[in-house]
Amino acid sequence: MRYRFDRQSLTRGLTVWGPRLGLVAALLTTCGVLALLRPHFLSLANLTNVVRQVSINGLLAVGVTWVLLTGGVDLSLGSVVALSGVVAAHLAHPGMYPLWVPITAGIAAGTACGGINGLFVARGGVPPFIATLGMMTAARGLALVLSGGRPVSNMSPTLTRLAGDWLHVPVPALILGGVALAAGWTLRNTRPGRYLFAVGGNEQAARAAGIPVRGIKGLAYTVCGALAGLAGVVLAARITTGQPNAGAGYELDAIAAVVIGGTSLSGGVGSVGGTLLGVLLMGVIGNGLDLLNVSSYYQQIVKGAIIVGAVWFDRRQRGARVK
Amino acid sequence: MKRVMWLALAVLCGCGRPQQAGKQERQVVIGVSLLNMANEFIVTLQAAMQERADELGVRLIVNDAQRSPERQVQQVETLIAQRVQAIVLNPCEVEASSPAVLKARAAAIPLVNVNSETAAQPAAFVGSRDEESAELAMDYIAQRLGGVGGVLMMEGYMGQAAQLKRSAGAQAVLARHPGLKLLASQSAEWDRAKAVTLMENWLQAYGPSIRAVFAQNDEMAMGALLAVERAGRKREIVIVGVDAIRDALQAVKEGRLDATVFQDGRAQGRGAIDAALRLSRGETVDPEAWIPFRLVTRDTVETL
Repeated sequence: MRYRFDRQSLTRGLTVWGPRLGLVAALLTTCGVLALLRPHFLSLANLTNVVRQVSINGLLAVGVTWVLLTGGVDLSLGSVVALSGVVAAHLAHPGMYPLWVPITAGIAAGTACGGINGLFVARGGVPPFIATLGMMTAARGLALVLSGGRPVSNMSPTLTRLAGDWLHVPVPALILGGVALAAGWTLRNTRPGRYLFAVGGNEQAARAAGIPVRGIKGLAYTVCGALAGLAGVVLAARITTGQPNAGAGYELDAIAAVVIGGTSLSGGVGSVGGTLLGVLLMGVIGNGLDLLNVSSYYQQIVKGAIIVGAVWFDRRQRGARVK
Repeated sequence: MKRVMWLALAVLCGCGRPQQAGKQERQVVIGVSLLNMANEFIVTLQAAMQERADELGVRLIVNDAQRSPERQVQQVETLIAQRVQAIVLNPCEVEASSPAVLKARAAAIPLVNVNSETAAQPAAFVGSRDEESAELAMDYIAQRLGGVGGVLMMEGYMGQAAQLKRSAGAQAVLARHPGLKLLASQSAEWDRAKAVTLMENWLQAYGPSIRAVFAQNDEMAMGALLAVERAGRKREIVIVGVDAIRDALQAVKEGRLDATVFQDGRAQGRGAIDAALRLSRGETVDPEAWIPFRLVTRDTVETL
């Protein structure tokens, strides 16, 4: 490609960004309506809150994007969040270990869970739904065993700072930003990233083309587990405890955000950028419903309608190009 | 496949044996089905039951229904089939757990409800009146604010008995204090992380008019406390929870959390085992034993 703005790259740019224009419009419209109804929605403090609040779902969603791209699913995210939070909190009592120990241990716990998921899916041929459902139960059980069913508290302030601000920007949002950039770049520009799309698009063709399908699948689940582990550590820092019953249902929020962001549940199509937009849309709606004091009963109805509505709208716009 | 089945059979027989031996010694066996052992309060309840059972030489079979009333009914059916002498039920749900009570009655096995109620009438009930906890908490808020100011209420999982009763208790107190204004009332689903998020949003929406937060459990109170502290507004906002979990008691001691309400899980658990044992021997017990709640503030926390 000699010319920067030749026709081919222009078309390619539109195909990459075009599908997301609807989502960007939905996000801006929602923000506009909220700003009209509640002017302090646009206050810096509130917008800071929103990015802080979406960070955990964001980390999970970026990870599970990889898994959904291969045509799989990961239902164990919420339980893995609880497990890694408990592991981190156990090692984070004041004066116990330096900061990197609880963080690394939490991420390692998540990575191990993801690795086991990957092993059963890629090598064992267990359907992803079942393999990760098993992990969902087992990881929750392990979190309960490690904590004795009680929150693990007395956390050192060095770890809780992970949920604080750095130069007025929430640290969790910075972490999410860094992770999303790395994950998105890897998907687009590296060989394993490209293979991920190929495996999800047509597994048999990918195998015939010599792509190490098992390895790629295993990689996707492991990365997803590692990010769930990181999310668990950030959540533990945010609530200053490791909660064995934290994270229930988080996997569904994450998957919903990914699908709203245009990733196909059957694999092969999607992007980290779209996922971030989906995460932001869900976060803004959650924040807005609280600001508007919509009753808890109606909040659930509104959230459900928006998840289905956003995906329906997005798919209709894109026509038959997506399965 | 055949070998696996034989193996399973052998394991089952092996499991059955100690129970038979127990029967010969006429050791009383009490079956227990608990709401959710991932909940700290229920763990306390279970520990108290086990402690009392050990003291009395009673054997407990403990099941965790993991919040599912359907699973709970199945567990009680299994306990009935095992011919336990009494059952202690910690109901998941008012209506949906009722079949468990009816089935035990039909099998003539005495059943004691502990901590929360079912629509069907058990042989005995040991627990606390949940409305009372919210009344104590809201009365304390009214007293601290001198009866005037904006109040927020964080509710539990919508539709659960504890949420409904604690809301009713809080509303009753609010009705007596026209100066207290309920700014908003939302569910954070008993969850600390959800409570942090909700409180952050409330601080934006209601700003300086917030004078107090009543959270229907301590998990949510701790979440609200974190958000208020991070916003640097703890000095102006009174926060009260319910349950007296360890974290909350610690926060009360440190003067961070204003108050919590102690539900005596230990007395409930021990009382339930006592009642079940007496019923299994054909003795009569009080059909409703109420264990009172206690308000815990910095002044009274050491007496707990």
